[in-house]
Amino acid sequence: MKNFDAIVVGGGHAGAEASLALARTGINTLLVTLTKESITFLACNPSIGGTAKGHLVCEIDALGGEMGKNADATTLQLRMLNLGKGPAVHSLRAQVDKNEYHRNMQKVLEHTPNLTILEDEGAEILTNNGEVCGLTTAHGKTFNCKAIVLCCGVYLNSRTITGEIIRDQGPAGFSNSKNLTKSLIDLGFEIRRFKTGTPPRLDGASIDYSKFEVQKGDTNIQTFSFLTKRAKPNTRVCYLGYTTAKTKQIILDNLDKAPMYSGVITGLGPRYCPSIETKIVRFSDKERHQIFLEPETNDNNQIYVQGMSTSMPMDIQHQMIESVAGLENAKFEKYGYAIEYDCINPLELYPTLESKKVKGLYFAGQINGTSGYEEAGAQGLVAGLNASLAIRGKEQIVLSRDNSYIGVLIDDLTTKGTNEPYRMMTSRAEYRLLLRQDNADRRLTQIGYNTGLVSEERYQIFCKKMQKIAKLKEKLSKTIAPSKELDEYLESIGEPPAPRGLTIDNLCKRANSDLWQANKKLKLFSGYSKAEVTEAGIDAKYEGYLRLQQQMIDRTKKLEEKKIPKDFDFSSIRGLRIEAIEKLNKIKPLSVGAASRISGVNPADITILLMHL
Amino acid sequence: MGCLFCYSTTCKLYFLLYNIFDMENLSDTIVAISTGSTNGAISIVRLSGKNAIEIADGLFESAKHKKPSALPARYLELGKVKTKGFVEQAMCVVFRAPASYTGEDLVEIQCHGGLKIAHGIVEECISLGARLATNGEFTKRAFINGKMSLASAEGVMDIINAESDAQVRAGYNLLSGGLSKIASEAQDELTDLMSEIEVSFDYPEEQIEYITKANTKQRLKNLSDKLQKTLDTAGAGNLISNGINVLIVGKPNVGKSSLLNKLLDRERAIVTDIPGTTRDTIEDSFSINGIKVKIIDTAGIHDTTDMVEKMGVDKAKNLIDAADIVLFVTDASKPLTDEDKKIFDLIKSKQHIEIANKADISHNNSNKKAIVVSSLTGEGIEELKQEIFKRFESPNLVEGGVIITNERHKQALSVALENINNAIREIDCQTLDLISIDLKLAYSSLGEITGNTTGEDIIDAIFSKFCLGK
Repeated sequence: MKNFDAIVVGGGHAGAEASLALARTGINTLLVTLTKESITFLACNPSIGGTAKGHLVCEIDALGGEMGKNADATTLQLRMLNLGKGPAVHSLRAQVDKNEYHRNMQKVLEHTPNLTILEDEGAEILTNNGEVCGLTTAHGKTFNCKAIVLCCGVYLNSRTITGEIIRDQGPAGFSNSKNLTKSLIDLGFEIRRFKTGTPPRLDGASIDYSKFEVQKGDTNIQTFSFLTKRAKPNTRVCYLGYTTAKTKQIILDNLDKAPMYSGVITGLGPRYCPSIETKIVRFSDKERHQIFLEPETNDNNQIYVQGMSTSMPMDIQHQMIESVAGLENAKFEKYGYAIEYDCINPLELYPTLESKKVKGLYFAGQINGTSGYEEAGAQGLVAGLNASLAIRGKEQIVLSRDNSYIGVLIDDLTTKGTNEPYRMMTSRAEYRLLLRQDNADRRLTQIGYNTGLVSEERYQIFCKKMQKIAKLKEKLSKTIAPSKELDEYLESIGEPPAPRGLTIDNLCKRANSDLWQANKKLKLFSGYSKAEVTEAGIDAKYEGYLRLQQQMIDRTKKLEEKKIPKDFDFSSIRGLRIEAIEKLNKIKPLSVGAASRISGVNPADITILLMHL
Repeated sequence: MGCLFCYSTTCKLYFLLYNIFDMENLSDTIVAISTGSTNGAISIVRLSGKNAIEIADGLFESAKHKKPSALPARYLELGKVKTKGFVEQAMCVVFRAPASYTGEDLVEIQCHGGLKIAHGIVEECISLGARLATNGEFTKRAFINGKMSLASAEGVMDIINAESDAQVRAGYNLLSGGLSKIASEAQDELTDLMSEIEVSFDYPEEQIEYITKANTKQRLKNLSDKLQKTLDTAGAGNLISNGINVLIVGKPNVGKSSLLNKLLDRERAIVTDIPGTTRDTIEDSFSINGIKVKIIDTAGIHDTTDMVEKMGVDKAKNLIDAADIVLFVTDASKPLTDEDKKIFDLIKSKQHIEIANKADISHNNSNKKAIVVSSLTGEGIEELKQEIFKRFESPNLVEGGVIITNERHKQALSVALENINNAIREIDCQTLDLISIDLKLAYSSLGEITGNTTGEDIIDAIFSKFCLGK
């Protein structure tokens, strides 16, 4: 039987990044996927990025991942959300061609050296002395390996629910994975059941778009990838519309048929992604809810109806859709459904995403109780990279809350856990101003390079950019002489004139000023890219607040740096409360900082812990 | 100052350490009714600290006429407890450091039940130099002095829990509980505001009425006003923990020393009718309604020039400056003189009470504002005491409100207020993501009072308030 160093199970967003992180760092890798058709299939909304998720994509890219490049290459429409609310929360979102996204990523995987793709189902994890030693597939083949990354998404024992029709399958009619849950239970993992859902897809030709408001994309904004030279032009638009009083009535009249309310669905669903029936029940005072029509692909006319996620019976779905102005004659291409699936408790993982129970077994993506392509991709990259580092005998990496959203995501998962599919939000990050999309490379590319994942080409581009930003920053203390142009610029941003001139630094600090725009008008310097100017400008503009956040980080650093050995037995500490011992032994935090964030661990416990370390 | 380990003032550990190692008052001797404020058959008053035994000597004597300092350790002795108001039968037990609950010298006096007696004993101890214990302070001291195993986490947790439980229970210190309530209400308001702001970041495309800057600013202003008001009581709070400094001034022979004696309810100053008998200042303390009053008598001062001459300009000024309130004593039996006026000019800008003494002789004094007292008969003395108390009583205290007694709380509140004011100042010209940093800082600063520094409730607030999602 052929041997591999590492095996990735599942070819979704987590699996693709995990496979690439392994193979690109020289690990002989096997990707086992149920079908190549489902490789990075966008099972729900046809978009990448969005609030906080855009940050994740930029970070994946900065670490040498693929998601950003692929999104840039398949963009149909690009928008920067939150533009008026400050650089920390600027969030890039792309509507992408879902077919193209899948095909493109499949091509990348198939052309990556060291990576073999096999269409099969992972069935049993083989271990030896608590360490991974191989994988048996549903077809009965056994492969030896040193590490497995499980990226099974929502496929474990999944079933889809549309009204009374319950089907034993994965999303979009793909088959599911039936054997792995048992293998995980045998290894001692706690299995949980989560739920999510998706709206119907319509035939775009049957929609009366004149009843909707057009939503256009932005021009001249940044791309996800630091390597993409130019954003693809917007070629498609989205549409905004609303549900009606009739929609509400139809849903209320048929609640007894809704699996959400009839007791059919037992899995835990996300609060941030409720079905339309949940929205109407929970926010009953709201007369209408907005819906967005999003193009799925240029291959055909399929339209995704954002805001109408539902698991109602098919006839009710027809009535619901037809009650919306402009959708009276809409033809269904796919019905909305809810999907329930098995997942593990992420508290069973180290922040490297390696399991505590089985050495060499890594988990990434929705199997960890998260939701979203971006969250999955981020974890896939970290899990794959750490598996690679472990195989290469190197120290694994733990990203931190102060260097990335990925760090926040994984720290939340592995110290706080989650009781619903976890979605990344900007509100979850404490040091938001430092964790921007535009500086993701500054935060992470060096780390990616040190681990071998960032290519030499990317690293050189990065170094050059950093040098140029440093050079540019030196120039910012220069005084701009008073001039008519300067005052005109100041007036254009609603600022008082500067009769004695002002430094570029201080110009940046003026409200509404933008260094890139200012430089266009005032010709302060030349030879710098928009990204370089923007980053230097932001650093100057928010200097005070940035310093404040840095101080906050420095203060907590000491506790974060106080490491706890991996196999530390907390019950050996006399005097810790039993609840704390149980929590600490279960979660096995690797730093005192992480221990302090565990719910149920008190400050008193931390004091005692510190005294014993 | 921050956490000993990470220097953060928002870390949970710091919160704990600060609660335990609230070192500022460790050298004091503390006193409290240990049996709580219920009307049991007996009450126990506990004194702990380096002067505990000496203070107990001032009020207890055994049946065999032994003072506590002469009693063997850990023997219960029957005897009498003597206070200004009563002499009562009581029992006393002395524990010598380190063999005591707190690890310090500790005296317990068991007396008849009923709060009046126990309160009387506590007040007497305070006037002899003890300070009212804060909640859980005996246990804290036990912990610090190694009497309680640190390894016993339950014990440690008890300290913290005891603190908040006791706050609710405590008859004396209704103060911190109220503060915690104000801080946590402020946190709730911040959580609400932040959820409104955060939802606009995380869900920019929802059909929600997003909060406007103007609205945010107004709500922050209201919050700022509220916290400022609370902070303003910090001065009053200090008085409670540090006592009220009272200075008695007046021209010679208006009866300053006899007034002092009457207030102290014992002979302290030498009283004669020869002007200038008291040649120096005399300091002593008594308590009004459980608040310590430190009193300084400038007795033997002939006139203002004499005062300055005797003490030096600086000391005289310092004395007046250091006083929280000045008792300006005149002779009720005689008309006011230029000398009276000179002294009055010296102190008039200071918080003061005018007193017309010697009311037993006659009342010819033209000063209508003065409280009329007689150090001889005791007339007006109680009125004077209540007047002193009233001057330092915050209106909030009367309404069951809040006075900040703890320096750390004051600090935390000022930082929070500063952050909020910064947000108010910046909101017109800065984007909301920056304002949210100020609000988060304010929130975690308030967390030093409430113990709640996590942000998870903001996310909960977002989902409970808004209808979101695909």
